[in-house]
Amino acid sequence: MPAPKSFDQTMTFATMVAKKQGWTLNPDTEFTKDLVDGLAVNWNRYGYFLCPCRDSDGSREADAKIICPCAPAWKDVEERGHCFCALYLDPAFAASGKEPRSIPDRKSQF
Amino acid sequence: MLDTLSYTDVPGDRSDHEIIVYALSTCGFCKRAMAFLDAKGLTYRYIYMDRVPIETKNEAKKALKERYKTDVAFPFAVVDGKRPLVGFIEPDWVKTLEL
Repeated sequence: MPAPKSFDQTMTFATMVAKKQGWTLNPDTEFTKDLVDGLAVNWNRYGYFLCPCRDSDGSREADAKIICPCAPAWKDVEERGHCFCALYLDPAFAASGKEPRSIPDRKSQF
Repeated sequence: MLDTLSYTDVPGDRSDHEIIVYALSTCGFCKRAMAFLDAKGLTYRYIYMDRVPIETKNEAKKALKERYKTDVAFPFAVVDGKRPLVGFIEPDWVKTLEL
């Protein structure tokens, strides 16, 4: 099992992913804090950043498509304005003030 | 087997419907969905599926999928034992719960 990660370390991870991909972290800071908390819980539970809004199938291999950033994230951000759990937003979507909502899970398409 | 799971009861002022929420403790939309039910004063039961042993969880997901003929994603709510709500889209919950 890798070393545990704190909330701050996990927030750094999410911030770096968003920056690298040209995405924006969800501007709803309370919502984002909950998701980053969830990511940290999953890291400390499974040893990898399982998406906080999906459940594990029991191994890193089985969960490969839903480790943050998940496989559908790029398409979801582009087409829906945000990823499945709504941690990452398309900057234009974020600027529009629209509120993210649950979207269908497309992991099986990847 | 869904009847054998350990749910947590949340009492509210209103019990117009029987509501069961299958959620993940780490999920933002699950938290938002339950905050919505709390704000409406509705009585419901919930279970965090990520805290259930994986064999039990998989069996429960299979049972939900077979019973409600839909893929399971979280939050997954069942209203009056027959109407499923997948994900949290507030207008859908308002409509199904007749709020």
